[in-house]
Amino acid sequence: MSDPTTAQPIELTTSPAPQVRTWLAAVADVLIPASDDMPSASEVDVQGRQLDIVLGARPDLTAAVVRAHELAGDSTPEAVLDLLAGSDPEALDAVRMVVAGGYYIHPDVRSRLGYTGQEPRQVRVDVVPDYIEDGLLERVMERGPIFRNDEPTS
Amino acid sequence: MLETDVLIIGAGAAGGVAADALSKAGVDVVCLEQGEWQAPADYPAQRSTYELEARKQWSASPNIRGGQRDYPIDESDSDIAPLMFAGVGGSTIMYAADWPRLLPSDFRVRSLDGCADDWPIRYQDLQPFYERTDRDFGVSGVAGDPAYPDGEDPPLPPLPIGQIGMKMARAHDKLGWHWWPAAQSVSSVAHNGRRACVQWGTCMQGCPEGAKASTDVTHWPAAIARGAKLITGARVSRILMSPAGLATGAEFVSSDGTWDEIRANIVILAANAVGTPRILLNSATSGHEAGLANSSGLVGRRLMVHPFANVLGYFDEDLESWNGHVGAKIACFEFYETDPSRGFVRGAKWSLAPTGGPLAAALPPRAGNDVWGPEHHAQVRKHLGRTISWGIFGEDLPDLDNRVEIDESLTDSDGIPAPKLTYRMSENSRKLLDFNIDKAVESLRAAGAYDIATESLMRYSGWHLLGTARMGDDPADSVVDQYGRAHDVPNLFIIDGSVFVTSGAVNPTSTIAALALRSVEHLIAHRRDQAVPA
Repeated sequence: MSDPTTAQPIELTTSPAPQVRTWLAAVADVLIPASDDMPSASEVDVQGRQLDIVLGARPDLTAAVVRAHELAGDSTPEAVLDLLAGSDPEALDAVRMVVAGGYYIHPDVRSRLGYTGQEPRQVRVDVVPDYIEDGLLERVMERGPIFRNDEPTS
Repeated sequence: MLETDVLIIGAGAAGGVAADALSKAGVDVVCLEQGEWQAPADYPAQRSTYELEARKQWSASPNIRGGQRDYPIDESDSDIAPLMFAGVGGSTIMYAADWPRLLPSDFRVRSLDGCADDWPIRYQDLQPFYERTDRDFGVSGVAGDPAYPDGEDPPLPPLPIGQIGMKMARAHDKLGWHWWPAAQSVSSVAHNGRRACVQWGTCMQGCPEGAKASTDVTHWPAAIARGAKLITGARVSRILMSPAGLATGAEFVSSDGTWDEIRANIVILAANAVGTPRILLNSATSGHEAGLANSSGLVGRRLMVHPFANVLGYFDEDLESWNGHVGAKIACFEFYETDPSRGFVRGAKWSLAPTGGPLAAALPPRAGNDVWGPEHHAQVRKHLGRTISWGIFGEDLPDLDNRVEIDESLTDSDGIPAPKLTYRMSENSRKLLDFNIDKAVESLRAAGAYDIATESLMRYSGWHLLGTARMGDDPADSVVDQYGRAHDVPNLFIIDGSVFVTSGAVNPTSTIAALALRSVEHLIAHRRDQAVPA
């Protein structure tokens, strides 16, 4: 039996309200705006489906994100980041984590970065490594032992 | 009430080795483990949220993880946060599986460098046990490393060193510096029922392939098949004592909140260098007011953790540096031994490891700063796959003031007093790291790095917990003898990293395993002479 605290992502029980998501989309685009070859955070729905995936894996972030929204008040998205940095760094970290987390698990973002994810690759032990073929390891050996004798020298 | 001949506390690296050896000898053995079995299918490697989970429920920090089976640790007075895992396999579930040995000089620091202490044993005493545990854990590597004395070849062929390893090997070839494919307790080929590594690159959040050696895979199944009994969810509060000064067993609380006791002729502590002194200090009783086995006053003192620096080089080309086993692609021992001209004693071991996925690039956990706004994408592309990291483990000299104590108010969820760490990095360690950082910069520049970022002391690097119940010949300045037997309590043994006299500068699990095997086989061989409670 596995320890439930270190097992599968926990099913999300408290979902941020629509107004939190709308606010998060605006803040997210300040953190990760569009570039010539990359979408903005809101374009890959970090405030929607991506947020649900992130908080499903990290429900501990939910309260801090909601708190960040409450603290933001009428501040502009740009100003709210400075505000949180001074008043609630934990909430700011949570906002950054859900935005970056949602962005970088999106398949389109990963594809554009050329990142294939954590994936299995067969180890080829039948191929002689380049460091042997090229003589690199041999030269390390030729330089001789580098460990110290365990008897003090007189 | 439960009864057994030998009680082991902790089912991690040392506990697994001990149970395996004792069960082979036909000894009746029970192990109490505070955590649970882990199901490889639960490990986060194959989920897109892997990097997110690694920062919380799969963090190596028990304080961040906050799992039901973790105990809290007051680390507010420590420069380095302790890392560990509670479960069958212990911290081998989350370790990187880097498998270097200590070097001969590590056992003779007082004689060679005039500081710290010598061990009561030497490298050659431990070498046969290193070679046997290499086979038991299934170590992959390359024979002939000139950083070590001759000996038996690694049992399995090496793992690939990848593009990053080749790039740095060529740089060190140019510099004339040591490098070597790092020995790893990861199966490069199918071995003893374990599958071959397929380079998930997620070793530190559990190996979904079962290729990484953790004792839940390598030792416990066979030990249990031979009759060893492993009780999980059993958190030990204290060792029980007889009026005659012998250990009689332990008190523990199960995960359902039930308190119980187990009687044993011999008690073996294998709960790591924080958990073991915690239990000993919590076992204070009449006649042992300062804690059990503590007439020397050294239980909990001399904590060593290996100060760790990280030097990150940025390269123009895509090196896929998120890929592959985590422990180390290659290691460098060029600056391991003392050179008096450097202004400090002892040295460091360097490990070359992957640098993580896109979240690590956006929220750099080591060197580098996070960047947001218009420059964000350029910053992520600069990091992701295009960085090479030298991790620098510095030797940590023992200091009486670096210690594990019992916190005055903090407890675990069962009300058992929790540990408090006090740790300050020494001036010698600072000089040592600064020197090695400079050399690592030189190494990365030689490889073609166009930029460098440095983290001069990484707080979340306390993987290597050592020294809090040191071994020695003299009961006045050591807690246990060279076989882990407590000087004060002749049927109490300590076999985890607590017994280290000095730290060396290498990942300690191979040494912990070899020492545990040596201690337990000595116990078995001298079983007839062993004092036990009436």
